[in-house]
Amino acid sequence: MPEGILCNKQPIVTDEQLKLTLGDKSGKQYYAEMEQLEVDTDKLWSTIQNTMKSRLKTWLNICAKCGLCADSCFLYECNDRDPRQVPSAKIHATLGEIVKRKGKVDNAFMRKCMDIAWSWCTCCNRCGQFCPHGIDMGVMFSYTRGLLFSQGFVPWELKIGSGMHRVYKAQMDVTTEDWVDTCEWMADENSEEWPGLEIPVDKEDADIMYTLNAREAKHYPEDIAEAAILFHVAGENWTVPSEGWEQTSLTIFAGDWEGCKQQVLHVYDAIERLRPKRVVGTECGHAHRATVIEGPYWAGREDGQPPRPYIHYVEWLAEMLRTGRIKIDPAKRIKEPVTLQDSCNYVRNQGLKNITREIMSYLVEPGYFVEMAPNKEYNYCCGGGGGFNGIGKYRPQRNIALLKKREQILATGCKLVVAPCHNCWDAIRDLEEEYPIGIRWSFLKPLVIKMMIVPDHLKPQDEEGEEE
Amino acid sequence: MKKKILLATTGSPASFGAARVAFEMAKRYDAELLLFHVAGVPKKGFSYQEVNDVRSQETVQVDDDYMAWVEEELKNTYAKQLEECKNARIILATGLPHREILRAARDEDVDMIIMGAHSGDSSDIYSKGYPGSTLQRVAKAAKCPVMTVHRESASYMGGFSHIVFATDFSKQSESAFKYALSMAKEFDCEMTLFHALDITSKVLAQSDIEDKLITLRKRLRDVYGPKMGDFKNFEVDVWEGNPYVEIVKIARERMADLIVLAHNTRELDPEQARMGSTLEQVLLRANCPVVSVNRPDKV
Repeated sequence: MPEGILCNKQPIVTDEQLKLTLGDKSGKQYYAEMEQLEVDTDKLWSTIQNTMKSRLKTWLNICAKCGLCADSCFLYECNDRDPRQVPSAKIHATLGEIVKRKGKVDNAFMRKCMDIAWSWCTCCNRCGQFCPHGIDMGVMFSYTRGLLFSQGFVPWELKIGSGMHRVYKAQMDVTTEDWVDTCEWMADENSEEWPGLEIPVDKEDADIMYTLNAREAKHYPEDIAEAAILFHVAGENWTVPSEGWEQTSLTIFAGDWEGCKQQVLHVYDAIERLRPKRVVGTECGHAHRATVIEGPYWAGREDGQPPRPYIHYVEWLAEMLRTGRIKIDPAKRIKEPVTLQDSCNYVRNQGLKNITREIMSYLVEPGYFVEMAPNKEYNYCCGGGGGFNGIGKYRPQRNIALLKKREQILATGCKLVVAPCHNCWDAIRDLEEEYPIGIRWSFLKPLVIKMMIVPDHLKPQDEEGEEE
Repeated sequence: MKKKILLATTGSPASFGAARVAFEMAKRYDAELLLFHVAGVPKKGFSYQEVNDVRSQETVQVDDDYMAWVEEELKNTYAKQLEECKNARIILATGLPHREILRAARDEDVDMIIMGAHSGDSSDIYSKGYPGSTLQRVAKAAKCPVMTVHRESASYMGGFSHIVFATDFSKQSESAFKYALSMAKEFDCEMTLFHALDITSKVLAQSDIEDKLITLRKRLRDVYGPKMGDFKNFEVDVWEGNPYVEIVKIARERMADLIVLAHNTRELDPEQARMGSTLEQVLLRANCPVVSVNRPDKV
C-alpha cells in the first residue's frame, strides 16, 4: 500500500479528513496503515538535498561521537544511561543513517526513526551547550521530524495537531466565532469584580496586541480573563485580534514546515492589520519560539524579527512590576518555599532567565525562593516538551521522562512550582498524577492577581460587606 | 416560574438529591430541563479525544460510541424521572467541569443551575491547578441562581412553604433578596429575613450582643422592609453565633424548604475558601436546597 486513508504523505487540510482521523480510536487504524506506508526514497533524498544546509551537514560530519553530550540528556539519564539514548547516537541512528544511505530506507526504519525523533528527544536543545563543537541535536531532530512528516511517519496526535492549524488556524477547533464569543464571555463574567474590564477585539493602533494558546479559549478561558485583568490594572491600551490570535504551533512539533509558515503568517497578518506598538504573547514556551524566535525565518522575514516587537509574557510582567504599574502587596508575598520551572523554549532559546527571577523577587518573600539544580539555561526539560506530552503512543516513555523533573523538584523541598509555560504546567500536573509528591503548580497570572494591590478607582464601587 | 433549568450531574449518588429537586421542579413548574454532564477532563495536554472519566477516573477515548454509552447510562440512571419529564434534553461535554457548566449555562441562557455540592473526591488532580471546587467556581461566576442540594434527605419533595433569606448586607445579597422575594411571592410562602451576627472571633459582653441584635434587626427592617411591597408574610430575625451554624439552625427551626443567600467570597483557593465560606458550610449542612445568587441578571 503506497498510502493509507489516514496515514499518508499529505497533511490534513480539510475538516472532513480531520474528523475522520480524529475518529480513529487511539490512532489504531492510523498506525496499522503506517506499517504499510511506502517510503518515497527518491523524494526523501531530493528533500534532503534541497533542505539540508551546510550547518547540519557539517554537524553530522564533525560529530566525533565523543559522548560528552551523554550526561546532558535527561532521557539518557532517566533510561538507565542506555547508550542508545546518547544524543549523538540517536541522531546518527536516524538522520545520519538516512543521509548515509542517500534516502534508501525502508518502512521499518522510518518507523524506528519516528519513535526516536518523538520519544527519545524533546528538542530541548540542552545537549548543544555541552558539545565541544556546539552541535545541537535538538535542532537536528527538529529537521529530522520534518523529513519524517513529509513521508507520513508522524505520531497520530501530531498529524491531527498540524491539521488543526491548517483547518482552524489554531491547535484546537476554536473558530473565530468561538474565540470572539469567549472574549465577550470572559469580560462579562468578570465585569462585576472588575468594573470597566474589557477584552477589546480588533482595536487598531493599540499599544499592545495579545496572542495566546488555543487551549485557553477551549478549556480554561479564565486565563484570558486573568490577562485582561492584569492589562486593565496596568492601564494598558490593548487588544486581541479576531483572527491570528493563536500563537502556538503544533506544526513545529509535528515537523510540518509549511504549516509552521502558514500559522505564523496568520499572526503576522494580524499585526500588520492592527498595527499595535508591540505584541505580548502568553505564558507559553513553544508559542514564543514558534512565533518570535523561529517564526520570522519561516515567514521569510529578512531581518529575522516579527513585524513589531514581540515579547514573552514574563517580559511584560517584569516591566509592569519594575515600573510599579502593577504593585505587589508585601503582606501577600509567597511565604513558603517556591521553585521556578525554566522553560527550554524561552529560557534556553532566548535567554529570558533573569527576567523570570526578577519577577520571583517581587512575588516571593526573601529567603523563600529555591532554585532547581541545575537551572536557567541548564535546566532540564519538564519531561513533556516537543509534543511528548500529547502523544498517546509514547505515554510510557513520557512517564519515565518525568522522573528527572520529579527528582529536581523533590530536591528543592518545595511544594509550590511556578511554571510559566503551558507545556511545563501540564507535565508537572501529570507528574503529580503519575507519581504523587504533594506539589501544587501555577502560572504567574493567578499568583499576581492574588497578590497585587488593586488601585481604589478600579475596585467595584459600593462593595459593602459584613457590617461587623 | 423559571423556564430553563440546567441540572449539572455526575450521574453518581452524590448528585441524586439535586436530580430529584431538578426533576420535581421541572415537572411542577413546566420548565425545560437540561441534563448536563461532563464526561471527562481531557488528558494529554488537553489535546484530542482522551479523557479521564469523571466517575471512574479511568482514561477513556471519547468517540461517538463512548458518548452514546454515557448518554445511555444517564438515561438509565434517571429512567423513571425522564419518563415523567417530557421536556428534557441531555447535553454532554468534555472539559473542566466548572467551565463547561458555565459555558452551557451561557449558551443555553438558563434560568437556574442545580447541582450537588461535590462529586466526591475533592483531591482530584485537575482541581489543584485550578483553584476552587466546581461549585465554588460555578456559584461565583454564574449569572443565574445556583441551587445546591447536598444530600438526598435535603431534597425537595413538593412546593415551597418557607424560605429563609440570609443576608450579610453585601451588594450581592441584594440580588439574592430579590430572588428570594420573587420566589416567596410566586409560591405564596412564608419568608424569614435573617442575619447572623458573627461572634466567633471576638469576646463580647452579653449586653453588647443584645444591643447589636437590636440594631441589626432594625437594619434588616430598614433595608428590606420598604422593598417588600405588598408581601406581608415575612418576619425578620437576627441570631448571634457562627453564621453558617445559625443559618442552618433557623432553617431547621422554621422548617424552611429553601435557603437563599449570596455567594460573595472572593477567595478561590480551596484551601482558603473551603472552610471559610459560609455558603459552602450552609449547603453541606442544610436540610433543604440552598440557592446562591451572585448577580442581578436572572432574578
